[in-house]
Amino acid sequence: MNCQEFEIALHPYVDGELPVGEMMAAEAHAAECRRCHALARREREFRQLLRRQPREAAPEALRASIRARLRREARRRVVRPMIVVPALSAVAAVLLAVTLLPALRPAKSLIGELVDKHIAYAQLERPAELSSSDPAEIAQWFAARASLRVIVPDYSPAGIRLVGARIADADERKAAYLLYEKGHTLLSVFMLRSEAAPAGRQVAFRGHDYVTAERKGYRTIAWTDGQTLFGLVSSLDYDALLECADRLRTERARQTRL
Amino acid sequence: MREFEDVALVHLDSLYQAALRLTGRRADADDIVQETFLRAFKGFHRFDPGTNCRAWLFTIMRNAFLNRVRAAGREVLEDDMDRHELERTLLSAPEVPGPEEAFFQTVLHGDVDRALKELPLVFREALILADLEGLSYREIAEVLSCPVGTVMSRLSRGRRLLRVALGRFAREHGYMKGADDV
Repeated sequence: MNCQEFEIALHPYVDGELPVGEMMAAEAHAAECRRCHALARREREFRQLLRRQPREAAPEALRASIRARLRREARRRVVRPMIVVPALSAVAAVLLAVTLLPALRPAKSLIGELVDKHIAYAQLERPAELSSSDPAEIAQWFAARASLRVIVPDYSPAGIRLVGARIADADERKAAYLLYEKGHTLLSVFMLRSEAAPAGRQVAFRGHDYVTAERKGYRTIAWTDGQTLFGLVSSLDYDALLECADRLRTERARQTRL
Repeated sequence: MREFEDVALVHLDSLYQAALRLTGRRADADDIVQETFLRAFKGFHRFDPGTNCRAWLFTIMRNAFLNRVRAAGREVLEDDMDRHELERTLLSAPEVPGPEEAFFQTVLHGDVDRALKELPLVFREALILADLEGLSYREIAEVLSCPVGTVMSRLSRGRRLLRVALGRFAREHGYMKGADDV
């Protein structure tokens, strides 16, 4: 990538909207070119300035007034045939409801895509959009930035440190991405809305089924829980990854009960 | 009603915030947000539960807003930027990275909202959705019913225009001297 191409890709690059290959090319160019590096830095800082702008919650009076109008509208409708609203499980709707596009495609290549993202993010100067080791802060950030309720497991007892988070794209839909590290080894955790079963080797661990697969030298573990697909990518060994998966599953079950 | 509250009404704060920045007036924001939720409720059977509710609500809100704007004859959604004198002058210079820390320190409380208000609507709405509400390019394209490439171009031009306006305010505040260095 040269300077001219970098400038064209600048905004999607800082917005994390470039395809993985182009993102890596842009990253490589910025590492060599001071001017383009400075351009990207300025755009990032500008975006952060905009994101830091104070926000106002909707006034209570407005909320109450909308509710009242909706109730009136609902009563008016009772005499008519009920509208058909396909049931959406409350848990699935709220819990980690990663926004999505309707297409359900087989997740065959999804694991490969997650591994590519893991590799690409690891090479970025800032792999996480939000750097934080505080699970609560990250969960709040997902809620505020993307209306996602995301489970952020704490792996610190196992020496795996939380590094940060980003809103990623996987399988053409928005995915929550958590980044951890153990020493210099990175662990990526992806969560996205998908009902397609991931492909790979079936493994049972503490009464739950997981699918494992190796791609490009990385180990992956994936499973679906409700309408959400979870994917872990790392060069950590399977024992460690299964523990991480089990803890995430347990934490999710605990928060679902709350 | 319960389902609507769980799926749609949870986005009230985000819609209100965007409406406030879009219209610049509390009373207008209240009105279009109310109208948006009422329309969404009436059309909720058309909403596909697997899809993105927030983008769907933003789409409804944008239509409600544009209808009002057209009715009042206030602002036109015009993307013919060749005719936009402001942009032609301001963006003719090449991008030169400037001293950033210095620049950001000069942005005072309220400047961003003031600068947003001055932006032509096509840029303002793209920036609000992307930078203040955090929608992806794909979602924005859906809301604005335009190609993703158009979203990119509006964001890049809009951010630059916003920066120019902020630089101008900084000079008004007496912080910076010199030409429009964007």
